[in-house]
Amino acid sequence: MTKRRQLKFTMIRSLVAICIALLVATLLILISAGGDTFQEKLQATGEALKQMLVGPLFRMSQKKGTSFEAKRLADILAAMIPTIFTGLSVCVMFSANQFNLGAEGGIMLGAFASAMTAIYLPMPAGVHAVVAVLVGGAAVALIMLLPALLKTKLNVSEMVCSLMLNYIIMYVIKFLMNTYLADKSRGQIMSYAFQETANIPPIVNNTVFSGAKLTWGFVIAILAVILCGLFMYRSRWGYTIRMIGINQDFAKYSGMKVGAVIVLAQVVGGFLAGAGGGIEMLGRYTSFSWSALPGYGWTGLTIAILAGNNPYMVPFAAFFMAYLSKGCDLMATYAKVPAQLIDIIQGVIFLFFAAEQFLSKYRQKLVVKSAKEEIARANLQKEG
Amino acid sequence: MLNFLKILATPEFFYSIIRISAPILFATLAAIVVEKAGFSNIGLEGLMMFSALAGSLVSYYTKTWYFGLLAALATGVLMSLIMGFFAFKLKTDIILVGVAVNMMGSGGTLFLCKVITNLTQGKAMASTTGLITKSLCIPDISIPLLHQIPFLGAVFSGHNLLTYLAFLFCLLTSVMLYKTPLGLNIRAVGENPNAASSVGVSVLRIKYTAMAFSGLMSGFGGAFMSMAYAQGWSLDMVSGRGFIALAAQAMGGGECLGGMLSALVFGFAQALGIKFSAIGLDSNLASPIPYAVTIIGLVIFAIVRNNKIKRQHSAAALAKSEAK
Amino acid sequence: MPDGNSAARDEYVVQMKKITKVYSNGVAANQEVDFNLHRGEIHALMGENGAGKSTLMKMLFGLEQPTSGEIVVNGEVLHLTSPSVAISHGIGMVHQHFMLVPSLSVAENMVLGMVPQKSGLFIDKAKAIEITKEYSERFNLHVEPEAKVMDIPVGMKQKVEILKALVRGAKILIMDEPTAVLTSQETAELFVELKNLKKQGYTIVFISHKLNEIMEITDRLTIMRRGRSMGVYNTKDVTKEEISRLMVGRDVVLSVQKDKANPGETVLRVRDLEYVNEWNKKMLDKISFDVRRGEILGIAGVEGNGQKELVDMLFNFNTPNSGTATVNNVSILGLPQQKIRELGVSLVPEDRMIYGIAAGASIEENVISDRSADKRFNKGPLFNMKAIHDEADRLIREYTVLCKSRRQHVGMLSGGNIQKVVVAREFSSNPVLILADQPTRGIDVGATEFIRKKLVELSRSGIAVLLVSADLNEVMELSDSLIVMHNGRIAAYFEDTAGLTDEMMGEYMLGLKEQSKEEVRRVCHDEKTPA
Repeated sequence: MTKRRQLKFTMIRSLVAICIALLVATLLILISAGGDTFQEKLQATGEALKQMLVGPLFRMSQKKGTSFEAKRLADILAAMIPTIFTGLSVCVMFSANQFNLGAEGGIMLGAFASAMTAIYLPMPAGVHAVVAVLVGGAAVALIMLLPALLKTKLNVSEMVCSLMLNYIIMYVIKFLMNTYLADKSRGQIMSYAFQETANIPPIVNNTVFSGAKLTWGFVIAILAVILCGLFMYRSRWGYTIRMIGINQDFAKYSGMKVGAVIVLAQVVGGFLAGAGGGIEMLGRYTSFSWSALPGYGWTGLTIAILAGNNPYMVPFAAFFMAYLSKGCDLMATYAKVPAQLIDIIQGVIFLFFAAEQFLSKYRQKLVVKSAKEEIARANLQKEG
Repeated sequence: MLNFLKILATPEFFYSIIRISAPILFATLAAIVVEKAGFSNIGLEGLMMFSALAGSLVSYYTKTWYFGLLAALATGVLMSLIMGFFAFKLKTDIILVGVAVNMMGSGGTLFLCKVITNLTQGKAMASTTGLITKSLCIPDISIPLLHQIPFLGAVFSGHNLLTYLAFLFCLLTSVMLYKTPLGLNIRAVGENPNAASSVGVSVLRIKYTAMAFSGLMSGFGGAFMSMAYAQGWSLDMVSGRGFIALAAQAMGGGECLGGMLSALVFGFAQALGIKFSAIGLDSNLASPIPYAVTIIGLVIFAIVRNNKIKRQHSAAALAKSEAK
Repeated sequence: MPDGNSAARDEYVVQMKKITKVYSNGVAANQEVDFNLHRGEIHALMGENGAGKSTLMKMLFGLEQPTSGEIVVNGEVLHLTSPSVAISHGIGMVHQHFMLVPSLSVAENMVLGMVPQKSGLFIDKAKAIEITKEYSERFNLHVEPEAKVMDIPVGMKQKVEILKALVRGAKILIMDEPTAVLTSQETAELFVELKNLKKQGYTIVFISHKLNEIMEITDRLTIMRRGRSMGVYNTKDVTKEEISRLMVGRDVVLSVQKDKANPGETVLRVRDLEYVNEWNKKMLDKISFDVRRGEILGIAGVEGNGQKELVDMLFNFNTPNSGTATVNNVSILGLPQQKIRELGVSLVPEDRMIYGIAAGASIEENVISDRSADKRFNKGPLFNMKAIHDEADRLIREYTVLCKSRRQHVGMLSGGNIQKVVVAREFSSNPVLILADQPTRGIDVGATEFIRKKLVELSRSGIAVLLVSADLNEVMELSDSLIVMHNGRIAAYFEDTAGLTDEMMGEYMLGLKEQSKEEVRRVCHDEKTPA
C-alpha cells in the first residue's frame, strides 16, 4: 500500500472510531437529558452536545452569541501538561512491548517527591523548581526498577506488579501525609506551602487569559515531546527499544542487550511520569493535597494508543482528550450530564483504536487496489 | 505485641478473613479459567464494578435481592462476551480490552449511577448506599448446629450466602475443569489449540465460554461487593481486587485450590490491616499490605517456578550425560 | 519399471489424479502429480525437502485444496475441504509435530473432541481408558492410558497419535517422517506395529528420506522431485542406488564463476561438539571441523541430520553437552550474540522472518541492527542520520534491493528482497566468518544467483564461509570443500568438490555409505600429521 493510502486509511479509521464513540455518547446523553417529551429530550441533547463539542473553545450565551474564549483554550492547554507526560511515558514503555501500567502511580509519586523537595529543601529560585522536578522524575525512575528487574530476572508480569505499585504508592503517600507531613493548621489534609522559589511561573500575565493558569510547564511538556521523539527515533537506545518491541528474537540475534534495554524503557517511562507529576504539582498548586490517584496515567494510556506510540503525535492526542474532557465538564455544568461521560467515551475510542481488525475489510480493499495499480503500472512500463 | 496477638486469635478475626477473601476468590476463579483457556482477562476489576452497580440498582428497583444478583451476573456475562468480541473478532489485544473495561468501570459506572438515579430519584446520586437497605442485600446464613459450636461456629457460620457460594464454586470450578468435557476442552484449547481444533473442538467457542465464565464469576464478585460486603455501590469500591485476583491466580499455580489459598492469604493481609487500624495504626499504613503481599507472592512463586525449571533442566542434562 | 495399471482399478483405495497446486505466492508446489494407493499396502513417499511431498499429503488430508486435479477415495470423487471431512472418509494423519495436549492423560488425548460422558455431565474416565486399552490391544500399540502425555517417551506419543487416528475410524494413515524423532529401538518397534496394521487391511503412506527403512518396510514407493512425480516403483524391484539417483539430482546447473580457493589459516575450529536433545536423541555426535580463511566449507545433508543444531550452537541459541568451538582461538560457545558478532561472526539465519528481520521496521532500521552503537553512526547521544541514510542507500544499491525507499517496511518486500536485506547487513559488517544457513531457500532465481555470487566474492577476499544448505545445487557449486552430515555425524569430507557427482552425494546423504574416521578427520587441517 502506498504511504498516502496508508495515511488515508489511518485517518478514516480514526474518524470512524471517534464517530462511534460520539454516537455512544449521544445515546447516553439522550437517556440522561432532562425533558418530559422526546422533543424536549432531543433539544436538551442538542444543547449538551453543543456544549461538549463547541464549548471548550467558545462561550455560548443567548445575548452575545458564540464567541471565542482564550481562557478556555488556556485551560485545555494547561490540562494537557500532565497527560502529555504520562502519554510519553506509556509510549516509551509500550514501544518495548512492556505492559507497564505504572504511569498512574508514577505521576502521583513524582508530584509528591517534587512537592517535598519544594517544601523542605531550600534552594535559589530557578534552580529549585528544576531540582524538584528532577527529584520527582528520579524517584519514579527508581521505583520502576522494581517491575522492570522482576520482569527481566524472574519473568514476573510487569503489568500486575506495576498495578500493585500504583496502590502501594497511593496508600504510602496518604499515610505519610496523614501522619507526618500535613500542615495541622489547615482544615483538610494538605502539606505546608511550597517555597516560592519552586514555583513554575505562568507563561504570560494571567489577565490575558482572564485567570487561566498556563505555566512554563506547557513549554517544558512540548520540549519533552521533542526530546522523547529524538530519543525514540534518533538515538540508538530508542531504536533498540523499538526493535525489541517489534521483534525480540531479532533484537537478540542482532546482538542487542535486550534485558538491559527493557529495564531502560521502564526507567525512562518512570522518569517521564514522575517529572510530569512534579511539573503539574509545582505549576498548578501551592501545596500537596492529592489523596487519590489522579487518573492521568489511564488518560496517558489512551493518548499513547491514539498516538500509535509515536511521541510526536502525543500532543495532538492529548489536546483531543483534554478538549473532550473540558467539553464534558462544561456539559456537566450547563446541561447537567455527569462529567464522567468522558470515561465511557475514552473507553470506547480506546477499544476501537486498539482493534486491529476494525475496518480490516476496507483496508483489504485498499491493499488490493494498490496491488492492482502497481501491476498496471509495471505492465505500462514494460510496454513503454 | 502479645495483646495484639490476642486480638488476632479471636473468632471475629478468622470470620473476617473468610468474608474478605470471598470476592477475591470469585475473581480468582474467573482468572483461573481464562488462563486455562490460554489468555488473560485483566478487565475483572471493571467487570466487578459494573456488576456491583447493576446488582445494587436492580435490587433497589425490584425490591428483591435475587433479581439484583441475577442482574449482576447478567451484566458480567454480557460484558465479558462483548470483550470477547473485541478480542477474538476485532483482534484487539486482550490486555488492552481489559484496560478499556477498567477505565469505563471507574468513571463510567459513576456516570451511569448518576444518570439512572437522576432519572428515577430526581437527583443525581454519586453512590447507591442511600438506596440499599439491609433487606435488599444478599442474606447471611446461619448454619444450623454449626453456629452453636463455640469458636468454630463464630468463624464458619453466619456468613453471607455468596461467601459460601464462593467456596462452593471453587470446588465446582475444579470439578468443571477436571471432570467435564467442557473443562477438558478448555485445557486443551489453552495448551495446544492446534491439537484441539484438529479433532474438531471449536477453539473460538471454548474461548467465548471461558470468557463468559469469567464474567459470571465477576458478576458474583461484584454483587458481593455492593450487596453483601457493603450496602450499596460506591465509586472504585472494588479497589484492585480484580488485579489482586490475577496475582492470586499466578501464585496459586493456576489451580483452584492454590488460588483459594492465595485468596485467603490476601484476605488475611487485609483483615490484618483492618486490625492494625483498630489498634490505632493509620489505616493507610495497613491498606497497602495486600498489594505488597501480592508482589512478594509473585516473586516467591516465580523463584519456585524457575527453580523447578532448572531442576528439570539438570534432570534432562543428567539424562543426557547418561545417554552418552 | 513403473508398475502402471497392472492392478484392477477398484483396488485403489486412493487415487490422486493430475494434482497441481499453486500457492497464492505463485509457487507451484505440485505439478500434475499422480499418486495412488492399493488397499493394505505400505507406500513410501520420497523426495528431498521442498520436493512437494508435504503439499501433496496436506491435500489428501484436507489441509490444502488442489488448484486442479481430482482426488478419488474408495471410488468416490471427494472435495476434501477440511481435515474433518478427510477423517470422516477414513483418512488419518500422524503429524511430525505431535498434535497432543501435554498435560492431559493419554486417554484424555485419545477422546478429545468425542468425549464419552456419564450422567450427561461428567467425563466417563473409565470408558475413555477402556477405549484406549481396547484399541491399544487390538492394534498391539502399547500405551499407558492414565499417564500424562508430557511424561511419556516420544515413541509412545507417536503411538497415541496413531491410535487417535484409528479411534476416529481412519483406514488410511499418512505418517509424516515418523522415524525422524525416534531412536532406533523405537523405530524397530514402530515397524512391527505398522506391519501388523497392514495385515489388518490398513493402508499406510510413509514419508521418509531413510533408504534402509524404506527398503525394509514399504511395498511400493513414489518418488518426487521439484513438484513432479518421478514415478511409482515396487520396492523390491529397485535398488537403493537407483532411488538415490531419482531422488537426489540437479535439474538445472547454474554455474557460478569461481577461482580456485587459496585457504589461509583456520578461523572457525569446532572440536567434538556433542548435543543430545530434550527427547534424548543424539543430534550432534562428536562433530569436528575447521573453516579456513578464503574458503567456503559446505555442509550438505538431508534436513534434520544435525545441521540446524550445529548452527544454533555456534550462535548461542543453544548449548552443547560437550565440545569446543573457537573463532580465531577465542571460544564462542555460550557467549552473548553481541560478543560473537564483535569477534567478526555473521549469521544468515535459516528462519529469516523470525531472526533475520523486524518485519514492521524500515529497511534502514533493519540494516543497522548489528551496528547501531557504532561510532560512525552516532554523534554524541544521537544518531548520525546522514551516515545511516548513506549506509542504507549504499547497501540497497550494492545489494540491488528492490524497494520504494529505505523507509519502506521490510515486511512489504518480496522474499528475495527480504533476504537481500539480511545478507546486506550480514555481509557488510566486516566479518571474518560468515555462517550462511540455507541462504537462498524459497527465494527467486535472481536473488539466489546474486547471493551466491556475493558469497564466492567474499570468500575470495579472505573471509571464511560456512555454508549450510539442503540444496544440492548450492552446496556443490559454491563449496570449495564439503562435509556431508548424516544422523548427527560427519559422513564424508571432500577436500575438493570438483569431480563430485550427484550420485556419490546421494549415497552419503542417505546413509548408504560413510567414510572412515581418518578420512573425515582430514577436515581438521591443523591436526594433519606431516607426511
